[in-house]
Amino acid sequence: MSKQLKLRIVTPESLVLDELVDQVSIPTILGEITILSDHIPLITEVASGDIVAVEKGEDIPFAVVGGFLEVKKNEEGITEVAILADFAEHVSNLSEEKIKEAKEKAEEMRQQMINNQSVDFEHFKAELERSLTRVKIADKWRVRKYRK
Amino acid sequence: MPGTKEIKRRIKSVKNTKKITKAMELVAASKMKRAVNATLRSRLYAEYSWDILTSIAKNVDLPAQAGAITHPLLCERNEKERKDKVLLLLITSNRGLCGAYNSQVIKKSLALLSPKKVFGVDIITIGKKGDVAMRRIGEKVLASFFELSDNVTLREISPISDMIINEYNSGNYDKVFVAYTDFVSALTQRPNIKQVLPISKTELKELISFPDKGRTEEGLHSDSTPISPLSRGTDYLFEGDKNKFIKTLAEKLTKMQIYQMILESNASEQSSRMLAMKNASDASSEMMDDLTLVFNKARQSNITREISEISAGMASVS
Repeated sequence: MSKQLKLRIVTPESLVLDELVDQVSIPTILGEITILSDHIPLITEVASGDIVAVEKGEDIPFAVVGGFLEVKKNEEGITEVAILADFAEHVSNLSEEKIKEAKEKAEEMRQQMINNQSVDFEHFKAELERSLTRVKIADKWRVRKYRK
Repeated sequence: MPGTKEIKRRIKSVKNTKKITKAMELVAASKMKRAVNATLRSRLYAEYSWDILTSIAKNVDLPAQAGAITHPLLCERNEKERKDKVLLLLITSNRGLCGAYNSQVIKKSLALLSPKKVFGVDIITIGKKGDVAMRRIGEKVLASFFELSDNVTLREISPISDMIINEYNSGNYDKVFVAYTDFVSALTQRPNIKQVLPISKTELKELISFPDKGRTEEGLHSDSTPISPLSRGTDYLFEGDKNKFIKTLAEKLTKMQIYQMILESNASEQSSRMLAMKNASDASSEMMDDLTLVFNKARQSNITREISEISAGMASVS
């Protein structure tokens, strides 16, 4: 079996994942990258989208919105991938209900922006991106198979 | 001696008070647990972001050297840029009934205000109590935030941290301090003042290493994330704009710092409230015991008096 890498997904609120996986694909600001074991040390910014870790042929998908990524080798020679996300959640946590909520929220915010010019744009943008990403990623993974 | 009826009423009212304080104690205890957990969870993120930051610019804490990657949030102001003004963020609670929690942190920040001749201090407050206190003594309060919920999210912090970073970036202030309450344990909280901007390595490390109980030196790294000495020397491959990257990272770190301090203050508030309420419950139990004794005495003396009256009446009749 090929070597595994240690994947850690951390958000300000919690530690989302801490596991050994075979490979991981991450959306970065310059396009999607896939990291395998023994990747060279890398630091880059994470864009919005889905992180897909693969372990024993099974996909483990996460929705992610913005953040950083660090790849390095720890002292035991295991490649460590740390993802510092502003927001990250396992796709199975994105239940239908939450998605509906997110959609409604996005719509509501859009309304707010139309009605009120003095809306806090930065805040609005972040919120909207978060909601939209969740919806998009959940839609994408609805029909695919993945590990819970 | 007051009548038995009155004493009875007092016992009843003390009993009701005790019920309330007991309930508040329990609520505070559960809130405290949540706040402590949140602090623990956010710590890992802060640690990692610092890790990355040091990997990018190994000399971030040195003054700007030629060629060094740096950012205004990370280095001290030059002599000529000095404004001799600092900004203080005071974190207090919205509600009272939490022992000395608010007064302690306010007192601590007053100590910073007293050498006023040296530098001017402007204040941003979180929580009503601190705001009221600062306005009373006539300090300049730039902004006040009241609406934070009990379990704060990072999103709620954004307006506060954005404002602080903007104020700092526009060059109005040399330094930004935060007066908050350090959560040492459920029984001890310590008011503290820390510098958040420019980001200083030692202060941050100290903050991040927070709940290693006892705060010992070896406790600093006994955490689940071993910071490998190997990776320190590694050259990283960068994708994207390094400067922009440092900027976002520095801003995030600042936000994280403020977030953590608020979380800690929150935990402290709840635990000191818990303690205050526990004391109040104990005191009311004691008071109830005392009052019951007084009540019994009064009742007994009433009976005695009645009996003596009756026997005196009988004696006079016969």
